[in-house]
Amino acid sequence: MIHIERGPWREMINHAQAAYPNECCGAMIGAIDGDNKTVTFALALDNVSAGSQAARYELRPEDLLRADKEARQRKLDLIGIYHSHPDCGAYFSETDLKNSCPWYSFVVLSVQQGRFDHANSWLPNAEQTEAAKEELTWPES
Amino acid sequence: MARILIPTPLRQFAEKNDTVEVEGATVGEALTALITRFPDLKKNLYSDEGKLRSFVNVYLNDEDIRYIKKEATPLAAGDTLSIVPSIAGGAYGS
Repeated sequence: MIHIERGPWREMINHAQAAYPNECCGAMIGAIDGDNKTVTFALALDNVSAGSQAARYELRPEDLLRADKEARQRKLDLIGIYHSHPDCGAYFSETDLKNSCPWYSFVVLSVQQGRFDHANSWLPNAEQTEAAKEELTWPES
Repeated sequence: MARILIPTPLRQFAEKNDTVEVEGATVGEALTALITRFPDLKKNLYSDEGKLRSFVNVYLNDEDIRYIKKEATPLAAGDTLSIVPSIAGGAYGS
């Protein structure tokens, strides 16, 4: 399961709402204890997808490298990636799946009419053919 | 001797090391040394055809090896290799 602490959760929600009607994306950093992950720090990253970003996001690998370095400096781990779905549910789309990697938790934030609505976390498999839902909690959940 | 930074989720396949030092004159040789030492890493980094998986990027210090000489990129003592995935997505195409 993955738990997101209050501070990073608010940052993620604020980022998703500020980016509306576009998708936002960022990195989640924290600690891993067995199957339990705790996000203690969120790092907003640029959505560099070319063209409309209303239903697309893309991370610069260089930014992910920077996020990993940031995590190492804090003696923490890069746990996952978050992104938003404006006016759509927090499902893991075919596009999400085909452009994912199996190493991280992927938190999807549904933003409806500019306000956060609900969220899910997903774990894609190595073949990028399916993603399992991961238990996700946050302070108000 | 080059240093390879292991992403958090892959450390379980590398005896929990966050950094591994390997010998190799090129990036390809260093990666081969890595998966020889930790065979369980291979399926995470390479396809069944033996090519780096499509979402795997390798950085030499802060530079993407695709823009140098890919896996033939030469290594110098003290170089650091980072393994970074490509990640994108979007709501449509569900």
